[in-house]
Amino acid sequence: MSAAIPSVACLGVIGRNNNPLHISIFPSYDPLANAFTPIRNPLQFSLLLSSTIDVFDLRSKNSTASGDYGLLHAIDDRLAAYGFETNTGVRMVCIVDMRGRRVEAGGSGAVGPSAAALGAGGGGAAAPSMSASSLGAGSGGPSSLAGSSAAAATARSAVGSVGAGLRDAELKPVFRAMQSAYVRLLQNPFYDPDEHAPLGGKGGKRITSKKFGDAMKRIGEAWTPGVTTL
Amino acid sequence: MAASKASRIGEEIWKTRIDKVNAELVTLTYGTIVAQLCKDFEDDYPEVNRQLDKMGYNIGLRLIEDYLAKSNTMKRCSNFRETADMISRVGFKIFLNITPQVTNWTADNNSFSLVFDENPFADFVELPDDGRAQNELWYSNILCGVLRGALEMVQMQVEAHFISDVLRGNDTTEMRVTLIRYIDDELPPEDD
Repeated sequence: MSAAIPSVACLGVIGRNNNPLHISIFPSYDPLANAFTPIRNPLQFSLLLSSTIDVFDLRSKNSTASGDYGLLHAIDDRLAAYGFETNTGVRMVCIVDMRGRRVEAGGSGAVGPSAAALGAGGGGAAAPSMSASSLGAGSGGPSSLAGSSAAAATARSAVGSVGAGLRDAELKPVFRAMQSAYVRLLQNPFYDPDEHAPLGGKGGKRITSKKFGDAMKRIGEAWTPGVTTL
Repeated sequence: MAASKASRIGEEIWKTRIDKVNAELVTLTYGTIVAQLCKDFEDDYPEVNRQLDKMGYNIGLRLIEDYLAKSNTMKRCSNFRETADMISRVGFKIFLNITPQVTNWTADNNSFSLVFDENPFADFVELPDDGRAQNELWYSNILCGVLRGALEMVQMQVEAHFISDVLRGNDTTEMRVTLIRYIDDELPPEDD
């Protein structure tokens, strides 16, 4: 049996001209096919990212000092978009799939109903399955959960509130990591920021850096609720 | 002079007599120079390499004075092996706080490699993805010029070039330095 936990479905970086700089898409677990596939196609993700621009604009009137916009909008019962904006107008969006990853329960099979109960929104039932996975070493769960019971506890509390969405703070490490990757990209002398968001407010090239792409991939794959550093 | 003693000297000078500067300032300044050269010469990378080498040469001609003043070693190196150790353990140490490995000596002791485990110039750098830079540009080529210029001022004519660079996807960053000849003090040309 298994339980579903949130995972990153898509990471997007939007330039100050509202131009797409970077989009990374990550596969989610599909219980029917028992395989990992993206739950939307690239065009749909691109449109979802575009739709966040309006929310950024609306909220920028009374923007927070930190640049963290928290939950931008919940797209459906699975997907939710979280955002972050730097002072230079670069926006980073993380679309989370609330049931994107599967956590195997412990080998004993003692916790039967967890997946079904979780699907029905029963937060309490998720707890035993999560702790089972944290105890069962080598049970196939993600090592970050199995390794630290503290992380598992945080993840459990996050899973317990699927209906209410993740706490905004859970996404902090993602944005921190994305921002530092973006800073490293800017340090590259061959990266010309003007090319990617020309003054005058029109268009701009996408980011082609392999290092940046790899960093996004690493962040999207490594994040799971409770992770504090990426 | 033994290598360990050279290390000690380098460490001592670095700690006591060197004004430090922010590493990112150096990295970004050098990066800007290279990127601007690439732009000015319209991505003619062999020409960019030449320009960097020339700039380095002019730096080397001056830097050697600073090196000699700070290291206060009036004694000449007795052979080229000693020179190599001093370059790595004192020269690179006091100016960049790195000590590249000195290896791959040829049998005649006239040619060695400097292997850079770290290269402060190349932090954050990704070469342009135009299919040519990876094969043609030696990003840190200024260092070759610096060595050539500095050694020329102490009567050593050398040839220095990079043979691999992690920026190009190689496993190491390696510079080959070859002694061509010791320059005898030449008489001024006579007016005929």
